[in-house]
Amino acid sequence: MSAVPGSFDAGHATRFGSGRAVRRVEDPALVQGSGQFTDDVSLPGQAWLAFLRSDRAHARIVSIDTAAAAALPGVLKVFTGADLHAAGVQPIALPPGFKRPDGQAASAPPKQPLARDVVRFVGEPVVAVVADSREAARAAAAAVWVEYEDLPAVASLDAALAPGAPEVWPAAPGNVLAEARYGDTAATEAAFAKAACRVSVEIDNQRLAPSPMEPRSVLAYLDGDRLTVRLSSQMPTAVRGGLAAALPGRTAENVRVLVGDVGGGFGMKTGIYPEDVVVGWAALVTGRPVKWQAERLEEFTSAVHGRDAVSRAELALDANGRVLALRVRTWANVGACPAAVALAIPLVIGPWVITSIYDVPLISLQLTTVLTHQMATGAYRGAGRPESVYIIERLMDAAAREMRLDPAELRRRNMIRPEQMPYTNAMAQVYDSGRFEQVLDRGLALADWSGFEARRAEARRRGRLRGRGIATFLEWTGGNALEENVRVDVTADGFIELSSATMAMGQGIATSYVQLAHDVFGVPLERIRVMQGDTDRANGFGSAGSRSLFTGGGAVHVASVRTVEEAKKLAGEALEASANDIEYRAGRFGVVGTDLGIGLFELAARQAGARIVVSGTAKAGGPSWPNGCHVCEVEIDPETGAVEVVAYASVNDIGRVISPAIVRGQVEGGAVQGIGQALCEKVSYAADTGQLLSASFMDYAMPRVDGFRAFKTEFDESVPCLTNVLGAKGVGELGTIGATPAVVNAVVDALAAHGLGRDAERVQMPLTPEAVWRALRREFPSVLPRQAA
Amino acid sequence: MPTVTLTLNGRPVSAQVENSTLLVDLLRQQLGLTGTHVGCDTAQCGCCTVVIDGLAVKSCNQLAVQAAGRDVTTVEGLARDGRLHPVQDAFVECHGLQCGYCTPGMVMSTVALLGQNPHPSEGEIVDALEGNLCRCTGYVNIVAAVQKAAATMAGGQAR
Repeated sequence: MSAVPGSFDAGHATRFGSGRAVRRVEDPALVQGSGQFTDDVSLPGQAWLAFLRSDRAHARIVSIDTAAAAALPGVLKVFTGADLHAAGVQPIALPPGFKRPDGQAASAPPKQPLARDVVRFVGEPVVAVVADSREAARAAAAAVWVEYEDLPAVASLDAALAPGAPEVWPAAPGNVLAEARYGDTAATEAAFAKAACRVSVEIDNQRLAPSPMEPRSVLAYLDGDRLTVRLSSQMPTAVRGGLAAALPGRTAENVRVLVGDVGGGFGMKTGIYPEDVVVGWAALVTGRPVKWQAERLEEFTSAVHGRDAVSRAELALDANGRVLALRVRTWANVGACPAAVALAIPLVIGPWVITSIYDVPLISLQLTTVLTHQMATGAYRGAGRPESVYIIERLMDAAAREMRLDPAELRRRNMIRPEQMPYTNAMAQVYDSGRFEQVLDRGLALADWSGFEARRAEARRRGRLRGRGIATFLEWTGGNALEENVRVDVTADGFIELSSATMAMGQGIATSYVQLAHDVFGVPLERIRVMQGDTDRANGFGSAGSRSLFTGGGAVHVASVRTVEEAKKLAGEALEASANDIEYRAGRFGVVGTDLGIGLFELAARQAGARIVVSGTAKAGGPSWPNGCHVCEVEIDPETGAVEVVAYASVNDIGRVISPAIVRGQVEGGAVQGIGQALCEKVSYAADTGQLLSASFMDYAMPRVDGFRAFKTEFDESVPCLTNVLGAKGVGELGTIGATPAVVNAVVDALAAHGLGRDAERVQMPLTPEAVWRALRREFPSVLPRQAA
Repeated sequence: MPTVTLTLNGRPVSAQVENSTLLVDLLRQQLGLTGTHVGCDTAQCGCCTVVIDGLAVKSCNQLAVQAAGRDVTTVEGLARDGRLHPVQDAFVECHGLQCGYCTPGMVMSTVALLGQNPHPSEGEIVDALEGNLCRCTGYVNIVAAVQKAAATMAGGQAR
């Protein structure tokens, strides 16, 4: 069925239903250490797999000598890429759909399960060893001898785009993989020519490591002739498809994917990895259960990275501060062997939101993805929206500074008004709802916007440079996978089971589903169970793009309502009454006007198979567009350049709130990830050798407990989403998207007020003490490729 | 192979280990106590934190033989008679966990802290958790959970 806006009725509101903060159903097991993460499961006769990975960025494999490794005690098998190729194991190729500037189809090196002939980034798997123990497997991997012939590497965007640069892939001349252009370039140029105000900023959305705390882990085994692969993933069905495509003789029917608890995903666990294929193959060949648990070093080198795009962005405005046109030139470094999502993020998804909540009449975008000898990029919390929102929010501040306008006022003048809804933006994306000025006003009040100058003056007396930054923005959620199915099983032993292909990964989706089902069934929360992570039970897109609640939750509602309706018919038969005379309340059916009745679970016991099974599908009518106003204040120590976030207020429109504590946790935890990009995180490769420099938590600076925690967070529930039955908007990525520009704008404001003026806009993330210290001395990095500068 | 004997979650345990076996591998691989997690290989994430003789220790950074004769508590050793330990309960109550992977380490660091310092200031809590990484929560509700646990446990002692 399609969504019927406003059709959702929370039913008999209770202490535990939607809209109420409840203790999460996930937590009792997790706080006692009895969760079931993949590495927590071991099987009798289990062997271990270890990878030998490339220790160089670009080289030809001359020879691989596995004899010494194979002779070590406990070693069962040693595989190379040639072995897998000979056995018919398929690489993971880039699907069609993207184009090069010359109109040719984009082509990138396919992801080989194990490298063949050439290695293209540090950390690429080259050899796999299966042994009786993890220690034996790792020791044997270290005993493999690979002779390489080093080839010249392009280890940065700049190197890749230099004239005559070595090529990562012959079918990508000049290392240009794909390009997209949008908008009306001539009209944009004309708008810039007549504009009263023009501003330009150079932006580095630096490469990040998603870093969920649970490393990837895969356990594969044969169950009869079926291959079962248990792993940590957001998308079990996609992994099943990937395994069936790569492994000879395997189909969706004879592969089963199981996912237990997932220790964080953030987009990094959305697709199939070469390692998954190799572990599956190892189980098929050895006939034994085979487990691989990634070390953190392997996660830094070979789990997808996020972001990594540089842009020159320009805004043209009239004398009243109304935006006339936006022009952006972006180069995204997608690494060596990207999946389609690595291209979709900079070329498609990011552009959809680049005009954000502003009424921008003209755009001109030229976006280029570039191959380098680095790990591929992929989805990471926000996936394209953080990059775009950062660009437009940095431009808004630059324009306000240039025009000597309050940055909130400049934003207000350009906001799409409620009466313009549904609004079609310059990228032909349709926003269903949003009251951006209302959210702005609430945000300004929460942040005490007008009281800031007094706080700045007070900080100055303490020798500190205080700055204030704002981001008003929206984002696109749903992954354009808007249909979701949920199966309800009412069991004789007293449980309501909700089977869904969406995946829990810390976002509390099981609790939210239980609350939504409770709204309809009225039985205690502990009687409702969510069954996920089994492709024999449910299949679908999975959890990504902040889609799970508004699509899967909608399906929970629809399936639950249908279940009660179907069960009423069964109750009518059991009670020898017309279904029209049956009423349902809190787990019990009764005949109106009598004391005749039967319990829901007792009714299930009387059915064939001792259960009532009903499925329901919900289809959202479009993406949801959550939005917010985030205001941050920072203080800088001018002696050291250290930045401290000292205040953070946000008002968020996520439509109707189902689980208040959970969404607050999503926004604030997400904001800390956004602060991480602003202030400390960066994946660094050596520009000459392509060696990964940020390869442990010592070198890659994750936010720690000593960071900012005193968030003021509010939700504006007055604007329900019109595209789904719940009225909910996706919340998982909103905090991350808003925090990065809010924090950086605050730092720029502090530096500008300290005398740097618009020069302060030349700072680049992460704003480490060194970066800010240098900025105070007017030393700024250059980020655009030399050929563009 | 040496035999190591220790007190684990209140009970004596003996196991044969290699000299090179890490304590976390003894716990997870040999004894099946998989609540103690491994999130890195450089003793920086704190997911594997256990309590040894009252101190928070990263069990990936200790040899199993170093635990000989010691009193080791893991996250599995906290709940009593089906009731959560006050620290575990506070993490649930305050939404101090999302994915739950770092949680056992956070809980054990907190248990060690409150054993030594029942009334920690916010700064002392931050110091005690500095070696534990969390990617989900932003630490907001983790610190709140520690404060709640401290209040609950102090109240219990007062009765």
